[in-house]
Amino acid sequence: MNQYTFTSGHRNVLFGAIGIGIVCLILTWIGDDAYHTRFWSNFLHNSVFFTMVACMAVFFIAASITAYSGWHTTFKRIWEAYSMFLIVGVVLLAVVGLGNYMHWHHLYHWSNAADVETDSVLKGKSSFLNNNWYMFGTLIFGGVWAFFAHKLRSLSLDEDNDGDKNFGKHKTMRKYAAVLLPIIGFTSAALIWLWVMSVDAHWYSTLFAWYATASAFVAMIAFTILLIIFLKSNGYFSLVNENHIHDLGKYLFAISIFWTYLWFSQFMLIWYANIGEETIYFRERYDNYPALFFGNLIINFLVPFFILMRNDTKRKFGSASFVAIIMVLGHWLDYFLMIKPGALITRNHALGHGHEAEAGAVGHGEAGGHAVEHVSNFVAGFTMPGLLEIGTFIGFLGLFLYVALTILSKSSLVPKNDPYLDESVHHHVI
Amino acid sequence: MAQDNNREVIYGLYDDEEDLLRAVKLAKTDHLDIYDVFSPFPVHGLDPLLGLEESRLHQAGFIYGALGTMTAFLGMSWIFTKDWPNIFGGKPYWSVPAFIPITFELTVLFAAIGMTVTFYVINGLGPGVVNKHLDDRITDDKFCIAFDKSSVSSEKAQAFFKSTGASEVNSKTI
Repeated sequence: MNQYTFTSGHRNVLFGAIGIGIVCLILTWIGDDAYHTRFWSNFLHNSVFFTMVACMAVFFIAASITAYSGWHTTFKRIWEAYSMFLIVGVVLLAVVGLGNYMHWHHLYHWSNAADVETDSVLKGKSSFLNNNWYMFGTLIFGGVWAFFAHKLRSLSLDEDNDGDKNFGKHKTMRKYAAVLLPIIGFTSAALIWLWVMSVDAHWYSTLFAWYATASAFVAMIAFTILLIIFLKSNGYFSLVNENHIHDLGKYLFAISIFWTYLWFSQFMLIWYANIGEETIYFRERYDNYPALFFGNLIINFLVPFFILMRNDTKRKFGSASFVAIIMVLGHWLDYFLMIKPGALITRNHALGHGHEAEAGAVGHGEAGGHAVEHVSNFVAGFTMPGLLEIGTFIGFLGLFLYVALTILSKSSLVPKNDPYLDESVHHHVI
Repeated sequence: MAQDNNREVIYGLYDDEEDLLRAVKLAKTDHLDIYDVFSPFPVHGLDPLLGLEESRLHQAGFIYGALGTMTAFLGMSWIFTKDWPNIFGGKPYWSVPAFIPITFELTVLFAAIGMTVTFYVINGLGPGVVNKHLDDRITDDKFCIAFDKSSVSSEKAQAFFKSTGASEVNSKTI
């Protein structure tokens, strides 16, 4: 079967998932504080996670085209489908950006004009960390990604009906891909700073964008493995076999180690230099989120490292999909741990308790060690993901897959005129 | 293998690895017992055709790597807490994060050197070792199938090499 049909069965399951997500978002909203921080941080967390997954999909398409890579061609429609979620993702994040203007939420300390006036660190960053940069950065940069994702996909679809022996469409794609790579390299870093890193507004790390991007990359590969195996079990993708899963498994293994390398590089430099305004990020997570802090490393490093080390575990669908599920959840937790502690500190600050919480602020540096003991209590939905967080994740996952499968059902699964199709069909790694 | 002496082999040389693969396939279906196959580079798909087992070199590599991890980590732990405790940058004696890079390096070093030495020893390679080749050209551009004359008769082998397009057939005692 070369054409995926989005059956009503699949559709209903995904509608159900989206329904769970909406119910959970509403329940979160109802039981929330005055700023609805739990609601908005969940919204931001999931929007960023899935948008970055889509961003990594279009990045990997562009990188593969530029590298003359052919092994992925039989299933490249999956990445094209994932990348089209960017349009939805940019809209979701623009809602957060609009919230900055309208004061719907209090996720970002830098968007509070009164605080910025009295805070020299935030004031110094205000030429970048401001509402306009957030909004227009999201719309313009995210829009550019979405444009390229759309362009690369439509050229790929045109190629299906094009018997051109000179592969003109593919050559055009090559140009678009080469232009996209530097753009996405710089803009994704800027958007990660705005969306995620600026939640801890006083803190910054030059490695953070790489680290967050590697996290999303692993999740994207894991989603790819899972969707391929799911569609194969439904009789599609007969050309995709364990050799392709093997290579995806290698990516899952390799980028997991790359992620760990970045995690550790960021951690060790900060640990070694021991500067209060930098260590606060890890101090906060180490003291108040120990299970997630160490669990993050165990799930996202030790599990793929030891399970996927062998040849056969990358090839077997059972072990590959098992690790892929753990990776999706693990990197979702990783983004949770990037966003939630900072959001909680900003909320406590805004609500007036724990005014010493942002110990990184000027004049509070020395108080950093003392600040921790005041904020160390368990807070539902922040210290640990609760049922509402998991439900929201299911909702966003449903939305992501709904968009991806709708796109997937609109074209042939096999790009029959792609110059690399034959190479991919005969891909053989052992 | 170097330890076998006075083995009479008849071997055919092929110009192309595709011819070699086809010939090996045919030898399998004709139940001709191949003594060995030589090629200047790894030919994709040859190992499963010859029924070769997966190499266990990587398992040795894992053990060497784990040995490197232990050596580095336990070594540094002992040195910096018991043998010669020093304070660096106000950090505790047992500073695990600072040990990680060196632990990683020694893991890689032990695995790499251990696997290389193991590979050389298993294959009888090493500095000063002279290996007998059936034909020098199999290290350059020829692909070779060799039969042991005690299991495959010369006539049978000649016929096989002729039918599979070998460019040259020779006999040799090794």
